[in-house]
Amino acid sequence: MPIHNLGYREWNGKLESSSTRWTVVAEIGIRRAWQSTWLRRMMFFAWVPGVIMGFMIFLFEQAEKDDGSSREILGNLTSMMIAGRGSDPSLKDVMEKFISFTATPDERRHTFWSMLLLNLFRRSQPLILIPLVGLIAPPLISQDVRSRAFLLYFSRPLTKVQYILGKAATVIAFLAMVTVVPALSLYCVGVLLSPSIGVVLATWDLIFRIVFVSAVIVIPSTSLALMLSSLTTESRYASFGWFAIWIFGFLTYSIVVPFSSPGDSSFMQCVSLFHVFSDVAGYMLDPKLAVAGIETRFITLGIITAVSMATVYRRVSAPMQV
Amino acid sequence: MAALIELNNLTKDYGTFRALSNVNLTISEGITGLLGPNGAGKSTLIKVLLGLVKTNDGTGHVLGFPLGQSSDQIRTQIGYMPEDDCYIHGLSGIESIQVAARLSRMPNTEALRRGHEILDFCGAGQERYRPVETYSTGMRQKLRFAMAIVHDPKLLILDEPTSGLDPEEREAMLNRIRILARDFHKSVILCTHILPDVQTVCDRVVILAAGSVQVSDTLEVLCRMPDPSVTVSVTGDYNAMHDRLLQRELKAVVVNPHQLRVNGEAGQLNSVLWSAASESGCVIRSLTPSKNSLEQIFLDAVREVHRADS
Repeated sequence: MPIHNLGYREWNGKLESSSTRWTVVAEIGIRRAWQSTWLRRMMFFAWVPGVIMGFMIFLFEQAEKDDGSSREILGNLTSMMIAGRGSDPSLKDVMEKFISFTATPDERRHTFWSMLLLNLFRRSQPLILIPLVGLIAPPLISQDVRSRAFLLYFSRPLTKVQYILGKAATVIAFLAMVTVVPALSLYCVGVLLSPSIGVVLATWDLIFRIVFVSAVIVIPSTSLALMLSSLTTESRYASFGWFAIWIFGFLTYSIVVPFSSPGDSSFMQCVSLFHVFSDVAGYMLDPKLAVAGIETRFITLGIITAVSMATVYRRVSAPMQV
Repeated sequence: MAALIELNNLTKDYGTFRALSNVNLTISEGITGLLGPNGAGKSTLIKVLLGLVKTNDGTGHVLGFPLGQSSDQIRTQIGYMPEDDCYIHGLSGIESIQVAARLSRMPNTEALRRGHEILDFCGAGQERYRPVETYSTGMRQKLRFAMAIVHDPKLLILDEPTSGLDPEEREAMLNRIRILARDFHKSVILCTHILPDVQTVCDRVVILAAGSVQVSDTLEVLCRMPDPSVTVSVTGDYNAMHDRLLQRELKAVVVNPHQLRVNGEAGQLNSVLWSAASESGCVIRSLTPSKNSLEQIFLDAVREVHRADS
């Protein structure tokens, strides 16, 4: 027996609000996930594209100051970022206007930042998001089902909604660190490197666009991953399901879309989540980029979120009903 | 004593299976043993009390809060120790307790301090820093018990708290329950199949069978025989002694080769018993007022249900 053992003592302290209990669940999830070395490595590499783009903003501002030699470099950088989107006629117009420097500095800055952010959301971050969620989300609910931790959670003043919110917050916290946080940091770097704080007036809409695109990517991804985790007691099956959805979706899209008619807005276009996220990011960050049937993409993401959350709620309630 | 739990006509169906059928029950302060065969509805009753499942019919109050409407307040004041081997994966013992305390709305720092205090009370040593997955059965039992009491609840619901424990640990666990009830006025519902545990610590017993309450009374009343009688433990020729008692027109039965049960008050029978023993060459080893055994009460209650069903 320890010498400081005081035996049982009553506790009369002040209780905290029950509405914040979900943060305890989220904290457990974040602490457990952060123990993974792979996750820490992934988070480090997730910021590399952001750092590179920060350097490109620096180059842009240098080019703005120095009208001569840097313009060529800037033109090349812009062409590089727009590569793959050149078939869009409206974009071609923007490109020409941009490179020839006929637009105002504020217009050029807005276009350049939009393109940087679009590249971040379309190319680099989805590739990080997939393995990141595949690492964090699968054990979140499945391990609680296997270790029968539900009774420990729900015999306390914690509702099922709070439990799900806590689990979702775990995934959202990590996803935010690779989507909205680097994007907003990039925006802040741009503002700090620009000649005056007045650029905020010309680019304020980008903040809302960043938050909206991040939410559109993060919320359905989190819901889907939690649903897969709740469907099994073995987290490896949930991991398999998660990667299978992305890989098979991508392959199916690659096979089906070349045979579909141009401007086809059917749900077949939404079979690949990777392309759905890419289209939504394009639509939000570059309004000049025409995406056929964008509403179909939003409906698809809405359906995925609603069905996934309903399934998670049902699965979380199930052990209590037996 | 104030009623902690009052249930009126509580009914719970799982599909076509009726788990609880018109349960009327009042549980007052103290330690109550909740007994019943497997599938009797004990776990369902506990889940109903915790507000984890909704009933199909009936009303009730737990700690003064209406059942099904104030689940949060009820759960804040109840400490539940599940029977299942459940734990939060990836956490150490002390972290698990801290999480349990925080989920019960305790502030973070206070939860950690209290966690250590409770683990000391439960006799846990340095193993509290190890991951829970590496714990032995006994240690996991201690941990679940600690998680149930960490937030200082008014009412403890302990589901099989002594199963899987060695005799020493079992005694220690029962002792902790006694301390909480006696010194800190905690009310306890002890759900177990180990009847000696109930007989040792409980004040009241509720026996559930086939989803309804068969027996609910204090242990003292339940164990009292319908007619006063004395159990005599003897060594020697018990048949001869039995005959001598019958010759004296006493109602006596042989319980086993070492025990006789004789109807009558202990004080009035003393001289007769001693003379009958000396005449038959027996030695009386003990004389105690007869009691119904809890095992017999339990079996009678369960058989009654089976008989009614058939």
